[in-house]
Amino acid sequence: MTETIELALKTLEAQLNQPLETALEACARCGICAEACHYYRAEPKVEHIPAYRAEQLRNVYRYEHDFISRLFPVWTRAKKLDETTLANLTEIAFSQCTLCRRCTVNCPLGVDTPLMMRAIRAMATAAGTAPEILIMLADAAIEKGKDPSFYKEMFLEQIADMEKQLRDITGDENATIPVEKQGAKILYVPLAGAHTILPPAVVFNAAQEDWTLSIFEASNYGVFLADVNRAKQVAKRIVDEANRLGVEEIVISECGHAYACYRWDVPNWFAGQFDFKVRSLIEVLAGYISDGKIKVDPTAIPGSVTYHDSCNLARNGGLLEEPRYVLKSIVRDFREMTPNKAEALCCGGGGGIVALAEYAERRIAAGKPKADQIKSTGARTVVAACENCRLQIGDLNEHYNLNIHVTALTDLVVQAMRLPKPLPGMEAEHLFEGEQVEVPR
Amino acid sequence: MLIFQLLALVGLAAGLFGIYLRYAETKRRALPIDKSPVKGNIPHGIAYAFTTGMMPWAKESTRIHLIAYLRGIGFHIGIFTAIGTVILSPLWGFLPPLLSSTLFWVLIPGALLGAAGGLMRLAEHNLRGLSLPDDHFAVWLTTLFIAVTGLGLVFEAFVVPMYIVSAVTFAYIPLGKIRHCLYFFFSRTFFGKFFGRRAVFPHGTPYREALK
Repeated sequence: MTETIELALKTLEAQLNQPLETALEACARCGICAEACHYYRAEPKVEHIPAYRAEQLRNVYRYEHDFISRLFPVWTRAKKLDETTLANLTEIAFSQCTLCRRCTVNCPLGVDTPLMMRAIRAMATAAGTAPEILIMLADAAIEKGKDPSFYKEMFLEQIADMEKQLRDITGDENATIPVEKQGAKILYVPLAGAHTILPPAVVFNAAQEDWTLSIFEASNYGVFLADVNRAKQVAKRIVDEANRLGVEEIVISECGHAYACYRWDVPNWFAGQFDFKVRSLIEVLAGYISDGKIKVDPTAIPGSVTYHDSCNLARNGGLLEEPRYVLKSIVRDFREMTPNKAEALCCGGGGGIVALAEYAERRIAAGKPKADQIKSTGARTVVAACENCRLQIGDLNEHYNLNIHVTALTDLVVQAMRLPKPLPGMEAEHLFEGEQVEVPR
Repeated sequence: MLIFQLLALVGLAAGLFGIYLRYAETKRRALPIDKSPVKGNIPHGIAYAFTTGMMPWAKESTRIHLIAYLRGIGFHIGIFTAIGTVILSPLWGFLPPLLSSTLFWVLIPGALLGAAGGLMRLAEHNLRGLSLPDDHFAVWLTTLFIAVTGLGLVFEAFVVPMYIVSAVTFAYIPLGKIRHCLYFFFSRTFFGKFFGRRAVFPHGTPYREALK
């Protein structure tokens, strides 16, 4: 047995807890999960059935743990792990599953296939077969956390420029983007890029919120690698910052995996050092509107709008009603996709696949069911509260000629605040007009 | 007859012992304790997982494959009825005729639905691709088990075969695919805990509740 295989098997064993063993044992191979998967919907073949993908790991597990399978491998297709099998498993887990959990919701037994896909990702990361780019991105974030002074000055300069933009947009000379403000109530963690800082800054200032901006970004590529050690190191930057500043709450930018990470994983990784409330920016927006802390014009967005449920926010995060509450407060013609909420189709951009250029073709193909779903609403604007979803839907827009405008929820809220000037990229007057896409009947 | 009854009993004991070993092995594994603040309601989530969440209309998959799902439900009703019927076999002489015929009319359709499932595994492209030899064997074995139990209720000639097939079926439970009968309970519980904690299921968390 090579060292690579030994590492992979050791990683599998280390993860083998009750939920994982259950997922490996429970499947009855009824195949009912097939259409739950966007890969299968886009290209119906056996290899795209979630149960089939999980079987590839089960074959290895059975060989290691089931004496009948060890004696008669042909009886259960048990397989000794080797380099070829590991390469195949890696390919499956990183390029044919976005960890969306739609199959779990649709399984009569509730088999957690994404849990198995995460187990494979962890095996691949430990064995050195995971996509290099994800490892590089995770490691770069860890390094950034070790010495933020290296880029901090440049970051503060950018924020100073952004502050000027903020005052220009809001017409408020006192509007600020506080950074490292000691004792602030909220630590807002953006993504990389002004588009996730400026719109929330407009909202926070309008709500007169006591907030401060994180110097780090919310993305956590360690999560995509299913590498808890790396993921913890990336998250630690923000945990330490929150502790250092003495904030009460961490608000995560419109990002699916980052919200899932800080809301559901970090409290377990940093038990005892993490007493912060964690909310998504979506929840904050809903709260401000419902409490009257920000004023929005319910007629501000005249065109047709639909909402895409990010899997990490909705099916895996329970943020089902909040975005709809926000949208129904500012949109006149809101159209639901079918199916939606916990049953929503994955757009095909999750699980880190957006960062993997080698799988772009596969990703766009798997997004076809979502593209069709968007098209059938006839909506002109698609709101997605997740960066990766927006990137994917943007690509789907281009590839399938959807003729839509893809936007974040916060951008739409800012638009509805009727400020003196629009956000960058929202200047076009026709952007939210009532023109609609032809709905095929 | 007694020897065959004992054989079935030995099979049942072996099956139960095997399932207990499986249960003990799984329980020995770590159970992650989730410390993230609960957004929804875990007990409600678990209750949903075992009740309304199992309804044919609760999931897109079972709405799409309604016939297949109902076939599976009927087959499983047949299996559990057969187990009960075999355990009660020493008392068959005391059963009211109505109960006997009710059992018969649950078991025979159950066996037919099992056979349909077995044929589907052979004929349907996806199912054929997914199925292991173990799956084929398990589905036909349980189908035979239901069938001979049903027939044994009516025709004495089937009583001995019923005990033999029962012994094999019971003994096979922990060894192959049939052991999902144990993991079903683990799986639905974890499902309920996960989605209950996160306010995903049961459906319809009121907006105000969601804001808390």
